[in-house]
Amino acid sequence: MGNYQKMQAANQSIHGVNLKLLNAAIRFNALMLGFTAGTLAAVVIYFATHISLAKWGDYSGNYLGLLAIFFPGYSVSESGAWVGAFWAFVYAGTFSALSYRLYGRVLGTRIADILLSTVPTENPVLKPSVLRLHGVSLGAAIGVMAGLSLFFSTSWLVVRGTADESVHAALFSNYIPGYSVSIPGALLGAVELFLMVFVACLLLASVYNKIVEVRHQ
Amino acid sequence: MTVAAGVLCSILLFLATAVLLLQNVPEGYPVGPHLATLGDYLPGYEVTWRGSLYGALYGFLIGAIGGFVTAVYWNLTHYIALGVMLISSAELAD
Repeated sequence: MGNYQKMQAANQSIHGVNLKLLNAAIRFNALMLGFTAGTLAAVVIYFATHISLAKWGDYSGNYLGLLAIFFPGYSVSESGAWVGAFWAFVYAGTFSALSYRLYGRVLGTRIADILLSTVPTENPVLKPSVLRLHGVSLGAAIGVMAGLSLFFSTSWLVVRGTADESVHAALFSNYIPGYSVSIPGALLGAVELFLMVFVACLLLASVYNKIVEVRHQ
Repeated sequence: MTVAAGVLCSILLFLATAVLLLQNVPEGYPVGPHLATLGDYLPGYEVTWRGSLYGALYGFLIGAIGGFVTAVYWNLTHYIALGVMLISSAELAD
């Protein structure tokens, strides 16, 4: 039985963690992160489209316009910016919310171990306890989501029959050896990307945790 | 989160440039023409060793700004949501 299943099976405190509260917090945080990342991605795509329009006018959209493959209805235009913002919100929001749910599942009751201090603060609402990042859980969660994203986006190019024309997607092979716009290439690429993201998340967590510890000494 | 995201993005952009520079490219062929278009948005950036240092600097700035904005927005949404919950529970208690 996995860590998360154990939590589900027994709705009681394990290692000093209130499981009902933990599950509610994971759902709440996943929703908040999805909303946060979705909004930021929407703003980035909206402004990137307008910057491209302002800088290159009628000639804009050479690279940005390729997003239309994944964002139905998108184009580098005034109205296209809104369509792009909508899809960016959907994709980034879903990716982030699912990543957080996965992070919560992998982390489970080990959350008690990453609390900076187990002593409750005077005002838990305005000055909540600080949580460090758990690099392995973070890497596993975001790595899986990144790998799946690469696999499904490559598969989409194969399914729509434009794999041979997808020269820009094929450039990933510069960074992911063995990757190609094909199903076997997508599988290999997904595994390699998982490993790369895993290492990047370990680095992010170690830098973040070190700074948090220094600041709260 | 600001510094952590900045450091990560800095390393990523530096490595992205370095990987292309370390590959064998036939003489006369451009190195990393697609990545080099980042120079349209990041003045001074190019796919050279000098450009990779610019990339590291820009990567840090972009990551730091992204990390800061994300952290502020994340905290803000939590404060608003928790505030709404507190007000609702206070009204229910009344």
